[in-house]
Amino acid sequence: MIAEIIQDAFFAAIASVGFAAISHPPKRVYLYCALIAAIGHSVRFVLMGGNPVSMHIVPASLLASFVVGTLAVLFSPLSRTPAETCLYPSLLPMIPGVYAYRSFGGLAMCILGKNEEQFDHYFYLFASNGLTCLFILAAMVIGATLPIFIFKKISFQATR
Amino acid sequence: MRQTLTTISEPVQPTVCKVCLFLADYSSWLLGCGATCIRMEKNMKRIAGAYGMEVETTIMPRHIHMSVWRPNTDERYTYIAAVSHCSIDFSINTRLSELSWEIADKRISFENAQDKFEKIIHSPKSNPWIVLLLVTIANASFCRLFGGDAMAMAVVGMATFGGFFLKQRLLARKIDLRVVVTLCAFVSTILGATDMLFHLGTTPSIAIATSVLYLVPGIPFLNSFSDVLYKHYICAYSRFVDTVVLTGCLSIGLCCGMAVMNAGMF
Repeated sequence: MIAEIIQDAFFAAIASVGFAAISHPPKRVYLYCALIAAIGHSVRFVLMGGNPVSMHIVPASLLASFVVGTLAVLFSPLSRTPAETCLYPSLLPMIPGVYAYRSFGGLAMCILGKNEEQFDHYFYLFASNGLTCLFILAAMVIGATLPIFIFKKISFQATR
Repeated sequence: MRQTLTTISEPVQPTVCKVCLFLADYSSWLLGCGATCIRMEKNMKRIAGAYGMEVETTIMPRHIHMSVWRPNTDERYTYIAAVSHCSIDFSINTRLSELSWEIADKRISFENAQDKFEKIIHSPKSNPWIVLLLVTIANASFCRLFGGDAMAMAVVGMATFGGFFLKQRLLARKIDLRVVVTLCAFVSTILGATDMLFHLGTTPSIAIATSVLYLVPGIPFLNSFSDVLYKHYICAYSRFVDTVVLTGCLSIGLCCGMAVMNAGMF
């Protein structure tokens, strides 16, 4: 289990740094992004892993994002960047991209369905993937933004 | 002579009009490079406050309306700025936030702030080859997080490299982002499906599913939900629709690629 957690943290850190590069953050934040993403993603992995807890992806994302948000706010004065600069790249490995495009795929198949049974099946896939995607995103943003509210002074004065 | 001495010891305060025009450019770039509405509002109020002025803004999907005034006087200026169409850039975002504090703490004059702003928005971008390499490695790692084997990671890396390289080239030619995302998703899916086509590994479906994930507009998704929390509903809605359209384009490219390669999504 520990090896799996370390592996999850390692690959989440790499994914975070790579996807962060698309949004051109200052070079000094890459290390913080990697560290925060590794901790956040492995927290979600443990919460959903079934041993000792087996949470649904939505509450697990909420709690993991809260951890990510808290770390991003606390690290932002060290990196001298707005909290979002560390926060958003660290959250990217948790973005429910697969759910997002599967809901579109379900919609397309639903329209192309040849009978009621097929339509119902693909509409179910469209709705379940779409709703899961929306709820994960909402949970992630609420979880990650709460620390910005709680530590407002740190969050908005990090670049001073 | 007396005037010159006054200018050196007490810098002349900029007019309401000048501050408003500066804030128009500032907010246009800050919003364009991916800042949240709350960040933009706070930075603008900080800058205006440094010159003894106040500012109120209305943030629309493509424009920012702002009114700057000096309290207890009838000096007031209103302006509508178009949101800058730059890509998300947290480096500019960070440096513009630093600039707002430099102005607020009186460490920089208004003229110097204008010069520094110009330098920030014209600063060089990251090396595109390094970005390409990092995104390739990142998406291959992402494949692993979804349970892909080593062969799937290699295939996803190749698919990402091809797709992201195409994205960089097409965006450099100013081609519409929606067209670019559709084409790149198609190319990445075709390349990602080689794992299934040549029976290279044991997780071909994961390779196809994760080969396009670098195109998911993650930061605009997060920004739109963040704007909802701060009650900037119009901007949130506009950002959300943008992301849904891009995800739709991604899905069209993916479905076409899967149809060509005779692969199923579900």
